[in-house]
Amino acid sequence: MGEDLATRAELVKLARALGASADEVAFAAALPHTAIRRLRERAVGVLYDEHRSAFRRVAAITRLLPTAVNVRITLRAFPPLLAARVAGEMPPERAAELANRMPVDYLAEACLHLDPRRATALVQLVRPDSVLAIVRALVDRGEFITLGRLLDSATASLVRDVAATVPTDALLRIGFYAESDEQLTHAVALLPPARMRAIVRDALSGPPELRAAGLRLVGRLTDDELRGRLAEYATESTDETLISILQTAIDTGAVRELLVAVAAMGEPAQRRVLALSALAEPRTLGHLVRGVERHNLWLRMAPTITLMDPDLRRRFAEAANLG
Amino acid sequence: MRGDVREVLTHWLGADVHAVEELSDEALEELRAVLVSAKERQAASLRAASDEALRQMPPVLRGTVSKILGR
Repeated sequence: MGEDLATRAELVKLARALGASADEVAFAAALPHTAIRRLRERAVGVLYDEHRSAFRRVAAITRLLPTAVNVRITLRAFPPLLAARVAGEMPPERAAELANRMPVDYLAEACLHLDPRRATALVQLVRPDSVLAIVRALVDRGEFITLGRLLDSATASLVRDVAATVPTDALLRIGFYAESDEQLTHAVALLPPARMRAIVRDALSGPPELRAAGLRLVGRLTDDELRGRLAEYATESTDETLISILQTAIDTGAVRELLVAVAAMGEPAQRRVLALSALAEPRTLGHLVRGVERHNLWLRMAPTITLMDPDLRRRFAEAANLG
Repeated sequence: MRGDVREVLTHWLGADVHAVEELSDEALEELRAVLVSAKERQAASLRAASDEALRQMPPVLRGTVSKILGR
């Protein structure tokens, strides 16, 4: 088993932030995911601060020119990379005024280079229809890391619009890279029930990375009721599908995510899960017991354990004692 | 942690340098190398983007913009 899902996501984001390959940052897998994140945030700060004075001077000149002239010069002469760096040094209102007159493709490319520390104020001032079009363009380009970062800047109304129009598999991929558990939870809570079901369906039936994204999503939610609702949608699937997600959880180090999802379900859904034939396998049961121990979930799982039939409870206890 | 590695990492990470102290010496050297490369890569990208910007500028503005960009 490799690193857990939080670490995997952080390694991808670190590589992106440094313009490095996955191999070049593989050493960081030895760190807790919180330390990798801190490392990334610090590194991003140093990189963006490195050439600030030059961009600040360019930003100062734009104050002297009318907006239309600035837009014309920018689109003609400035690659999106430079425009994004200059925009980061402008008052957000001014940057938004320029952005509102620029084409979506240019802005989508510029988004990749926007200083994350300054994105929120700017994104919230750009016209909502432009932001939505930029999000769609970034989805089409598969820029899920950038989108995950931008989720922190999104207003409730933007999240609603994105949730209603962006394919659900893309929403899962964006959620995998979201920075804040709280913002991710708000975003999921805004989804209409049909979209929530579609996300769960994609997570259960998609390729391994989507199944992992689904497990990470359900594990990160800060609202247990919402987690339970998503988890219960999953139990509407076949045994084969549920066993497959159980196996993915074991393979990807996401047993904690699986366990907290089960603990958040109502009793009928829990009984459905406890009846899965895969729980008859000592190896599978061992993974689950070790997950409960490692993540100190005994109290949380206690109501689920009381629902086990006597035979399963005995084998579960034996696996715990074997440790 | 070796002194030269600590110096580079402290520049990048400030007080958070302690967050990476549990890495092996080999991993710390890899971290130093990837951070230095990131800075070089960024400088090269910005240089290329600035060159492109200057090429697109009317000749009369090139000198001034070049100075502003610190070129």
